[in-house]
Amino acid sequence: MTPLRRSPILEAGVVVVSGPLLVFSLYLLFAGHNQPGGGFAGGLVAGIALLLAWVAGGSETVGRVVPIRAGAFLGVGLTLAAVAGFASLAGGLGFLESGFVEFSVPGVGKVKLVSALAFDGGVYLVIIGMALGLIRVLGEDETLDAEATS
Amino acid sequence: MLTLLLIHALAALVILGGRSRLGPRSFLVGALGPVAVLAWAISEAGTITGGTAYEERVSWVPSLNLTIDFKVDSYALAFLLVIAVAGVAIFLYAARYFSGGSRVPPFAATMTIFAAAMVGIVVSNHLLSIFVFWELTTITSYLLIGYDDHKAQARSAALHAALVTGAGGLAMLGGFVLLAEAAGSYLISDIVARPPAASAAVTVAWVLILIGAATKSAQFPFHAWLPGAMSAPTPASAFLHSATMVKAGIFLVGRVGSTAAATADWWQPAILTIGFVTMVIGGWRALRQTDLKLLLAFGTVSQLGFLFLLVGAGSAKLVFGGLALLVAHALFKASLFMVVGTIDHEAGTRDIRRLSGLRRAMPGLFWTAVAAAASMAAVPLTYGFAAKEAAFDGLVGKDTLLIAVAAAASILTVVYTGRFLIGAFGPHQLGEEPAGAAAHDPRNALLWSPLVLAGGGITLGFIPGLAADLVDSATAAVTGVAAAGKLVLWPGLVPALGWSALSLTLGVVMVTLPHRVDAAVAAVGTFAAKLPTAEGAYRRSLPALLTFADRSSGVLQNGSLPAYLGIIVLAAAALPASAIFADLPALDRPPGGSALEWVLGAVIVGAAVSLVFVRRRFAAVILLGGVGYGIAGLYAVLGGPDLSLTQLLVETLAIALFAFVLRHLPATFTAPVTARTPRLLVALVVGAFAFAGGLIAYTFRGGRAVAETYLAEAVPEAAGSNVVNVILVDFRAFDTLGEITVLVAATLGVAGLAVPALRLLRRAR
Repeated sequence: MTPLRRSPILEAGVVVVSGPLLVFSLYLLFAGHNQPGGGFAGGLVAGIALLLAWVAGGSETVGRVVPIRAGAFLGVGLTLAAVAGFASLAGGLGFLESGFVEFSVPGVGKVKLVSALAFDGGVYLVIIGMALGLIRVLGEDETLDAEATS
Repeated sequence: MLTLLLIHALAALVILGGRSRLGPRSFLVGALGPVAVLAWAISEAGTITGGTAYEERVSWVPSLNLTIDFKVDSYALAFLLVIAVAGVAIFLYAARYFSGGSRVPPFAATMTIFAAAMVGIVVSNHLLSIFVFWELTTITSYLLIGYDDHKAQARSAALHAALVTGAGGLAMLGGFVLLAEAAGSYLISDIVARPPAASAAVTVAWVLILIGAATKSAQFPFHAWLPGAMSAPTPASAFLHSATMVKAGIFLVGRVGSTAAATADWWQPAILTIGFVTMVIGGWRALRQTDLKLLLAFGTVSQLGFLFLLVGAGSAKLVFGGLALLVAHALFKASLFMVVGTIDHEAGTRDIRRLSGLRRAMPGLFWTAVAAAASMAAVPLTYGFAAKEAAFDGLVGKDTLLIAVAAAASILTVVYTGRFLIGAFGPHQLGEEPAGAAAHDPRNALLWSPLVLAGGGITLGFIPGLAADLVDSATAAVTGVAAAGKLVLWPGLVPALGWSALSLTLGVVMVTLPHRVDAAVAAVGTFAAKLPTAEGAYRRSLPALLTFADRSSGVLQNGSLPAYLGIIVLAAAALPASAIFADLPALDRPPGGSALEWVLGAVIVGAAVSLVFVRRRFAAVILLGGVGYGIAGLYAVLGGPDLSLTQLLVETLAIALFAFVLRHLPATFTAPVTARTPRLLVALVVGAFAFAGGLIAYTFRGGRAVAETYLAEAVPEAAGSNVVNVILVDFRAFDTLGEITVLVAATLGVAGLAVPALRLLRRAR
């Protein structure tokens, strides 16, 4: 199969779009508790941003956008989610039951921090790790052997 | 209590974190676990032996009603002390025993986790948590026994132990579930307080629990794994086979013994038979060993048989003697195992035919061994003697046959004890290359650890009162009978003393006539070699087990993706369907949809129907995406922006990932003719269920919708106004955790399958 031909216009377009997409994905993560969104949707948006990077320049570009292995996302995400559960337990709540603190930051106003955010962050990282892993593995073409053995 | 377990886990993590710097000192870190347990046990001992059990309950997953229940009564305390004392001594010993190597720290970490699991077994009050810790000891002991994994013998011994004790553990789990269902509680304290009425299920439960305990404690006919497990490094053997793993089964039968004996009249005869057979076989086999460690291993089997029947029979007098002996056994057997380890370490062998002159070369170790061996052979003035007197005293009242068999086994004990001492410290055999000339007493824990434990056996012999209170109150904790026995330096002229004196005298006589004994043993041995052995049974059953596993996984895991999917979706449809349609509620008329809903519905149906007819893969993926986008649209129209957003994103990503894979597949596809009808049937059934189920869920308005609860509690309980997200990260967060775990596993699975497959494809090109 012939490798995809690179298109400068597409690449430039992707650079323009993928940054805001990643920011949007973070917004979804943080807004999720009260607005539509959440770690799952946020992670998927980030995954789509990575997909666009792949479309523009293949695995190499994906690697430049996120120079981290997919396994790290998966591992850190799952650990974070589990630790969040145990943290609630240690805090006297049930496993994964969320607690919250409210405090005001000068200039920003009242901020409500929910412990479930850490759990949702774990979900977010796992989804990104999944997208990244699948893109890396399945989207591989010419650099397959070098990548697979690393 | 949870803190004590966490200390073990933390110590194990520290060991693994600092592995290269710690080396053999890892064991000193690991010793923190047993030290903490010891400190706790000593500080609580007064209260607990006074009759107030220490209880702790940790709410684990309240939504599933899962709690961790700890209860430490005197009975558990006795085991805790045994585990902790032996643990501290053995961990300190191990720090000197190993010289280095990259695999020592992981070994130390495994042993620390093992110690934690053992503590977990004895302090758990919940049957399932006992099971979890029980299996944790199985897994960790597998790793400990198989430490020398370059040796086929060590690997197969580890597997043997894991298979036998693992199978026993599963049997025990079945027994636990049956017992708990019959008794209405998983808490041992409840079951003991209100035993279930006798029934067939309860009988099966007791049988299964007995099997679990017998496998763990190496009882006949499952005992063969224990001698094989001697391929573990000596510190692990000393820990596993003196104070911990094999005591787990004894702990269990002791815990439930009184209840079982009261509800099943076969329990006591069964325990007595198993115990006595094990006792005699172990003692006999010990006479034929030339490896000091194997000699001790068979001796352990023998003593475990005795402990099993004493502690498990459910009679207060026997339990008293059994617990007294259990403490004695932990002290002398851990000590003797460590003595063997030190001999091996210093002389380079533990073959009694080669060892020579160690008595002069290692006087300290010699006297240590003598002290421990004296306790093992129940020589008067040792604690072993006091304990055995208590045990015999319990048996004397029962049946002459019982005491006679116990006395016969005691003779064997004396004989193999003599064989151990003479073999280790006497001259070498003619014709064998002598070893041990360069040996000398080590000036560290290689000597101190066994010395302290052996000394403990002597001290308790002179002051048995130190142990008597604990043993007495532990007996009372499981049998309800206080002052069931006596633990004294000199019992006076009682029948039990007669039996002790008889077995000791006969044993000593036989020790002084080693050649006669060897000849007799050899003669009987030639005959016994023709009898089936437990090892042989295991060896023969192993291929059968593998064949069965091979066949069953060939059928169940046939590798056909359509078959897997078919089974999964059919089960997902049939199980809820059988519940819903069995009790079909009255339904309202479905509300009529808006024009937009009809349009979206038409898109979904159109895409789905076309999907059935297309033969091009890419077109199929696009149509599948069409179904998904249509559903996302419906969610949006019906007021579920969250679901809609997520569905949209998932579809987009899924189509792209499909496209990746499609590059490597032929452009078109057809289903095999034979598969069409079954697939059609599956599709129709599942489709019908999805349709009917959706309709019912949409129109049924009886009962109280779970949505109301969630809507009402989202803000006050979880401080979030997006209920969908609150469900995902709080109310049903445990499910989400499971789901992301599945995602991680699936991603790893795809990577594991796709990387080699794609490489093959590239080679082929």
